[in-house]
Amino acid sequence: MTVLTPIALNTLDQAKWAFSTRRVAREDAVGLLDMLSYATSGDLVLGRVECIGSHKKIQLAQGRASELYIGDLVVLACGDRYAPDQFEGLAELDPQGADMLAGGGVLGRMRHRHAKMSAPTRITPLGLLANAAGKAVNLADYALEKVTRPEGLRVVGVVGASMNSGKTTAVAGLAHGLSRAGYQVAAIKATGTGAFGDFNAFVDTGARYVADFTDAGMVSTYRQPLARIEAGLDTLLAHAKRDGCDVAVVELADGVFQKETADLLKKPHVRDGFAGMVFAAPDALAAAGGCAALRAMGIEPAAVTGMVSCSPLGAAEAEAATGVQVVTRSALCDPAQANALVAQMLAKQGAHALELSEIGVAA
Amino acid sequence: MLNPVSELPGCAPSETVTLLYRPAKGKGALSCWLALPSNMPADATPIVAVHGIRRGAKQQAEALAPRAAALGRPVIAPLFDKVNWPKYQQVVRGQRADLALLELMTELRLTGTWRTRNFELCGYSGGAQFAHRFAMLYPQLVTRLTVSSAGWYTFLDDAAFPYGLNERPGKTNDWGPRFAAGLDQFLRIPVQVCIGEEDCVSDDNTRQGPEIDAQQGRDRLTRARRWSAAFCKAASERGLTPRITLSVMPGCGHDFQDCVQYGGLDRLILPDGVATALEQSSLYSQQQEDGEAVKQI
Repeated sequence: MTVLTPIALNTLDQAKWAFSTRRVAREDAVGLLDMLSYATSGDLVLGRVECIGSHKKIQLAQGRASELYIGDLVVLACGDRYAPDQFEGLAELDPQGADMLAGGGVLGRMRHRHAKMSAPTRITPLGLLANAAGKAVNLADYALEKVTRPEGLRVVGVVGASMNSGKTTAVAGLAHGLSRAGYQVAAIKATGTGAFGDFNAFVDTGARYVADFTDAGMVSTYRQPLARIEAGLDTLLAHAKRDGCDVAVVELADGVFQKETADLLKKPHVRDGFAGMVFAAPDALAAAGGCAALRAMGIEPAAVTGMVSCSPLGAAEAEAATGVQVVTRSALCDPAQANALVAQMLAKQGAHALELSEIGVAA
Repeated sequence: MLNPVSELPGCAPSETVTLLYRPAKGKGALSCWLALPSNMPADATPIVAVHGIRRGAKQQAEALAPRAAALGRPVIAPLFDKVNWPKYQQVVRGQRADLALLELMTELRLTGTWRTRNFELCGYSGGAQFAHRFAMLYPQLVTRLTVSSAGWYTFLDDAAFPYGLNERPGKTNDWGPRFAAGLDQFLRIPVQVCIGEEDCVSDDNTRQGPEIDAQQGRDRLTRARRWSAAFCKAASERGLTPRITLSVMPGCGHDFQDCVQYGGLDRLILPDGVATALEQSSLYSQQQEDGEAVKQI
């Protein structure tokens, strides 16, 4: 039997609400449900910090980081996380204690962690936040209105070899360069884990519209149904178009072998919606492998960027190995060069209808 | 802040225009002259007028002010001074003149001088060089282009940059391909090429040499004709209908004031109603037997 406990007035005002919860109308949360084992991705959890581990700070909904103290009340979203450099975990809550999987506000059960990572910060779940109807408050309830993909919006994709390969820097650079060139630009993160780092980096570019998958109601896209992720991307693009944007720069998280990213790229509706694709790589070898993987998916990369572009020798190796131009961050920020890159993509769009194959791509 | 200088005579009482000088805001920024009609709708498309190597920005704003007043449209005449912008005509050579203009336009948008998403662009002589190259780099920003009495051009062919759009020998990541990238969109811009009928002798300011002479001709009139023809050819090769007019101004040489006074250059730049001008330019862009799209007025 589910027990709904009313929340004392002002209790939630004392809690630290994570960035992933930023769209939620806090006044809707009037009670606590004890059905923790039934929690699903996106459900909001009121918890208490029991032990400070890897994450020593929480990213607040207000857009700043807050130091965590033992005993802090926090509101996080139950969710999965896929981060090869940090944690992999599932949207499962143990009443005895759950793992803070991401500083942006993802709570679940850690399965794997990178060797450099210490144990996750432990949170004791006090209950799921419930609304007046007695249902768990879920991020999906506060998502943007679902809309189909718009016509007439030029979309540039940015994918990479892995986490920290330079994708966000590339999106930010290109969004900034295109904004300076007079475009109304949307900077969008379509997959990944809810966190304000990338979101804020996009805001800083001067882009007209910034959004991520949390705006489409997902705390994380890991293990989400492909149709939901795809619909989320379409919704974000549609809202960008409604807001007056004429170009969107879209980041797909992690590497092209990550399941959701690979599955998305293999979908014709998604793949063909991109005017072009920029690949971020740490080095020439990753550039060669990544470009080959993209080509196997029927995508001809328009440019390579990322850490490899910082090294003239690395860039030369990458260009020789891939036949694709390597562009630096400063080139992406340059309005003339950003403009030219997008124009080249538009000119080539449709000219590279490669056969889809599964070679080298995670199923 | 803007510094009001004068109210221009020559306009009807209901068509007053104020000429203003706006100092540069910071290092590397541009100053400019503005001609601002008193009656200017919010959606008025500005005309950005770029001076030649005599740096007559004020002259540009003054000359276009009466027409701007009549049409209720702002004139923005940036000043690329000699010290900081010796090669502004080539846009990306040396200090980046394109970035400076973009920054100026951003600042002027903040102060409410213009509110539209695009602007019209014109230039005289060295300013015409700047104008056509800027429009090639940023075709999405330019709704109409007037290129008057340019000394030479970047042709829409495979000559090495800056004469054409190919990479220069031994150069990688050269500007030619970047100019070429937006060619499809550039070729959709309504373009007006204006040239004095008597601007047909080369002078000390006309770039000369075997390569450029062979490609473009020896004088500005010939070069205007050949570039117009090249524009038509490039558009036709892409299945586009070129919208370009070549206007040869009778009795005019290479003098901006003469071109305005006797050649009606101000009316060519700011005709009565842009839509009408576009329709006319479409009619004029019929290729003649020699491959040149010529409509002489």
